[in-house]
Amino acid sequence: MSETTAEPGTPPGAPAGSRLSRTAWHWRNNPKRELWFAWYTTVVFYNIFFIVFFPVTHAQPPPHPWWSDAQVAYWFNHNHDGLIIGFAIIFAVAAMTAPQNALIAYSMRRMSVSRAFGYSYLVMYSLSAVPGMLLLCVVLSVGAMRPGRDPAQLHWLYDFAFLSFTGTMGIFLLGSLVWMLAILLDKNRVMPKWFGYLNLCNALTEVVVAPAWIFHRGVLDWNGLISWWINVAVFGIYTGAFITLLRTMILREDFGDGPLPDLKKNHQAKASTLAGTPR
Amino acid sequence: MNAQPKRRPLIVWLTLSAITLAYLPLDRSVDNHGTYRASSVVTTIAILLALVKARYIFREFMQVRNAPALLCRLTDLWVLLIGAVLLGSYFTGLAVH
Amino acid sequence: MTGVAQAGPQPGAAGQPPGEGTGKSHRAIPGQPDIWVLVLFEALVFTAYFAVYLVHRSAHSELFLRSQAELSPWLGTLDTLLMLTSSLFMLLCVQASRAGAFRAAITHVCITALLGTAFLASKITEWALLAHDGYGFTSNEFFTYYFFLTGIHFLHLLIGFITIGVIIYQLRRRERRSQELVETCAVYWHTVDLLWVLIFSLLYVVR
Repeated sequence: MSETTAEPGTPPGAPAGSRLSRTAWHWRNNPKRELWFAWYTTVVFYNIFFIVFFPVTHAQPPPHPWWSDAQVAYWFNHNHDGLIIGFAIIFAVAAMTAPQNALIAYSMRRMSVSRAFGYSYLVMYSLSAVPGMLLLCVVLSVGAMRPGRDPAQLHWLYDFAFLSFTGTMGIFLLGSLVWMLAILLDKNRVMPKWFGYLNLCNALTEVVVAPAWIFHRGVLDWNGLISWWINVAVFGIYTGAFITLLRTMILREDFGDGPLPDLKKNHQAKASTLAGTPR
Repeated sequence: MNAQPKRRPLIVWLTLSAITLAYLPLDRSVDNHGTYRASSVVTTIAILLALVKARYIFREFMQVRNAPALLCRLTDLWVLLIGAVLLGSYFTGLAVH
Repeated sequence: MTGVAQAGPQPGAAGQPPGEGTGKSHRAIPGQPDIWVLVLFEALVFTAYFAVYLVHRSAHSELFLRSQAELSPWLGTLDTLLMLTSSLFMLLCVQASRAGAFRAAITHVCITALLGTAFLASKITEWALLAHDGYGFTSNEFFTYYFFLTGIHFLHLLIGFITIGVIIYQLRRRERRSQELVETCAVYWHTVDLLWVLIFSLLYVVR
């Protein structure tokens, strides 16, 4: 967090000293500490999410929709420990999505657009955690909980879990469109316009995933080449982009109402602040 | 081509339309009275012609022709990339099956 | 979208793009530079879809050929000509706007919208005819790709109508009119045209 000393809005008098003492000082005094807390929470959460959903539970990439009852039962038994432990971790850290949503909503509050954008995004994404993540975790945990369950029942749970996860993208679609519109209308240059357009690309992938409700095989089923693999590639690029851009936004933040300054100007501001020259 | 600027859009449109219409005899050359037959030659030509049209749309309709060199090269690269992926997928699919 | 009138490309003679007919080599990015991220990214995403289609086509060549024969090459050709003509009028709109002939520009973009609407009508007609013959999204693999690709393109075209709305709004403003925004929206429309050109060749023409 040493880069925070370079920004306007940093209180003067940041001590020189050991890294530990400087860090402690920033945790107590830096006005951006909540923003950084939200940003680091986002990064940590996505790492936990990836590790749990991919290698631990094997819930992603999703297993095949066309499996028989016996194959589904085998999958639950084979992944029993990973499912129980992995999703227990997710239940413990699920609230980490809240600071992430808050940070994105904050980006919209900093924009010149109506507050309605930020608040509606916040409401949408708070609710979206239920079908978009938690339902799958609950249902697959229920399935794994009793290894002797009837395979037909397991298959029901399996379908419910993966369809609810993959097929309920409407709310993410709307959220992306809200953020896109806010960015394109914004005069404060909080986010670059190209990221606004990338929101449109992400929103369209949410449409592409909808046929997962219809197809049990092929490229449009819930683990299909188009509706899962290509979509996740787009989503991965989109997520990487917004995590990076949120970091840049925090670095540029001057707690004003006007356009955010560029990073280069921040370094000049730092130099003049340290020299005691008013900006 | 350095056509009079006012006629240029029309010439662009005529060229693109002509290439589009050329698809009809291209397909007819290999189809057998309404029964379609596979042909790598027709597929390759169809894809190449589509790429020619795509590049033409970039340069003329989107006016990349008058854009900085970076954008010109980027769009040309994209056309090449799309072409490589399309032809690569087609021939890979044929080879595998 | 800042709505601020841009001092971007200098209008040359009678709506010429920069660097043409003026003897100068003034080059400018058409529209906002940011829109090109969308153009190139969407082109890549669609290319990925096309790659999946082509590989699967090779695997089931007989089925795909038989199903493809149910499509009308004439309708497909008409659709392509409609899209190309709509792009022509979009280009004329941008040139007129650059030259300050805003009424002409509005006329051109309205013709673009009309041709776009004709395309939509043609597509819906084609879908209805296929449905009448018993071919739908789940009929077979070819038709899954057909309806998916034409459907997602249809959606992109609907968004194109929103951009036309933005263009008309900009052209009708007297103050703070943004030529950059007009060109940005035009670039999006041409992208939809470009995607159709590729889709048409892959669904209707390739054997």
